[in-house]
Amino acid sequence: MRIIFIAITCLISLQIWGQQKVHQTFKDTRVINSHSVETLPKGHLDFRVGHRFGDFAGEGGGWPTFYGLESASDVLIGFEYGLSDNLMIGISRAKGAGPLKQNVNSLFKYRVMTQQKGRNPFSVAFLGVASYSTMQKCGTPGLLCFFEKSAHRFSYNLQGLIASKINERISLQGSIGWTYRNNVEFQDQNDLPNAGVALKYQFTKVFGIIIDATFTFSEFRENAISPDGSRAYYNPLGIGFEWETGGGHVFQINFTNASGLVETDYIPYTTSSWTDGGFRLGFTISRQFKL
Amino acid sequence: MILRFKIFLVAFLALCFIVCASLIITDDTALIDNTDRVFKVLESLGHNGTDHFPDTEIFGVSAKRGRQLVEEGLSTRPGGGKTRKQSKHFVCTSCHNVEKEDPDLRFSDPQARLEYTASKGLPFLQGTSLYGAVNREKFYNGDYYKKYGDLVVPARDNIREAIQLCAVECAQGRRLKPWEIESVLAYLWTIDLKISDLNMDDDQLSFVDRALKNRSLKDSSVALIKSRYLDYSPAHFVTAQESREAAVSVEGNTENGALIYDNSCLHCHENQRYSYFHLDDSKISFKYLKRKEDSYTDHSIYQVTRYGVKSVSGRRSYMPQYPIEKMSDQQLQDLRAYINERAD
Repeated sequence: MRIIFIAITCLISLQIWGQQKVHQTFKDTRVINSHSVETLPKGHLDFRVGHRFGDFAGEGGGWPTFYGLESASDVLIGFEYGLSDNLMIGISRAKGAGPLKQNVNSLFKYRVMTQQKGRNPFSVAFLGVASYSTMQKCGTPGLLCFFEKSAHRFSYNLQGLIASKINERISLQGSIGWTYRNNVEFQDQNDLPNAGVALKYQFTKVFGIIIDATFTFSEFRENAISPDGSRAYYNPLGIGFEWETGGGHVFQINFTNASGLVETDYIPYTTSSWTDGGFRLGFTISRQFKL
Repeated sequence: MILRFKIFLVAFLALCFIVCASLIITDDTALIDNTDRVFKVLESLGHNGTDHFPDTEIFGVSAKRGRQLVEEGLSTRPGGGKTRKQSKHFVCTSCHNVEKEDPDLRFSDPQARLEYTASKGLPFLQGTSLYGAVNREKFYNGDYYKKYGDLVVPARDNIREAIQLCAVECAQGRRLKPWEIESVLAYLWTIDLKISDLNMDDDQLSFVDRALKNRSLKDSSVALIKSRYLDYSPAHFVTAQESREAAVSVEGNTENGALIYDNSCLHCHENQRYSYFHLDDSKISFKYLKRKEDSYTDHSIYQVTRYGVKSVSGRRSYMPQYPIEKMSDQQLQDLRAYINERAD
């Protein structure tokens, strides 16, 4: 505990003393599915709309659903706010793609260290997400939606993020996390450790490619079989493009096998595979306002 | 008896000589000093040309609060607590220096200003320095009528109206309350012109000094002092096309361009300080600017320098344009040369 305290104190001190901060390791507070080390500037309100369509191909996609565009696996509307240049909070409402639907999500993210030219090669941030499912209680014991206690509606995710803008074009990020759900399916575990990587390559000042992947460490997930005999869970992988269109507007368009938009949803409940056509088009619109 | 009379006479004459000599020998102590405030000297010469003094009878007026408003955009309320931010987007110092920025106050020369501000570590900005603002008599001059229309009419002769126009239109913020306006004025009076700012030579100082002592040649002295600085800031807008055409005939100076990029562009755009559009020292930024140079979009240096960016609903933050007195066509070409050099 003492070591952690000293480490955090050192990180904060480095941040205070630093002068030449590296700006825009990522353009947005999200990469695709996962959060980036970026936080909102103090006093900025970010209105976000995220969307994940249905499967592009495979059984649920193709022409009958116009390659997933006629269905929505998840939709999120939320507001986030920068309390300081390094601390942001947010609240959102998402449709939910996993077994827990109609989720109200809250988050905080604190950047404890910012990359500085010639001094410190990394930015470090901590993220906390809590989700509360507001879906209607179902009558079948054993299903997640039975909600024997209202606490069963909660799930959480904590992450540590470390990133570096290696040069003006390339940014890399790694993360470790822990997802905890108060109630899980039979044989699943409440704890779910996870790790992630993310990459940004900037083609021009305003246009770049982004990739992120999250890996879960769960014996249950490695062995779980779906009713059709295929693997039941997959690691979320996304690839996308982002445009900075000016005026505080960043437009992202992406493809990912994750159906959900929030950590407590897509990390434990990604059940689609890229190789089976289970990837979907998604986009995020982020618009910032100064308050 | 005669001897005593002679001694008395000699003593009397000596005393008279001393008294007369003391009346004839002038006092060499100068009445004017380089640290004197220009308005005080003018006042001593009988010139009362300004009504810019703050009304300190209003509760809460203070130069300290005025300084906070100018530099931070908010202040402490007279009754306690903090005021609401005057503007979400800008503070006065986003576009105005608060130090002297022209080496010779008689001229509005952008190149001299660029070099002077660079030597002082100051940014090179669109707005005129607030240093000496209370010594000016005209505001929103020249082509600012084209931008703000009739709004400039009351502001041209009235510094309070000028501050309010700047707060509401230029900074896209709320109107200042009476105590805030007066506090800003009180602060501006702490950064008024000093005699040393006028770069007067010894003869000119002696001339003014004599006028102060003898109470003569006062009008000439007032005229001399007022000829040493501009009591207005000239502003003329030119079109982007005119600047493009002017650029054809001149060669850019990359060192000058670097000063403009660092002290002007990056002042607002670095780390999105006042703008959503981020610029830095990376090649990717220069490549982007180079690619947009000849376009007719907001990201062309010609377009954005000469027209700025409009404030629109939902995006009130904007970029004001540079009058020709704030950035010359030559300087624009210097900036282009620097961008091209860094992009290649």
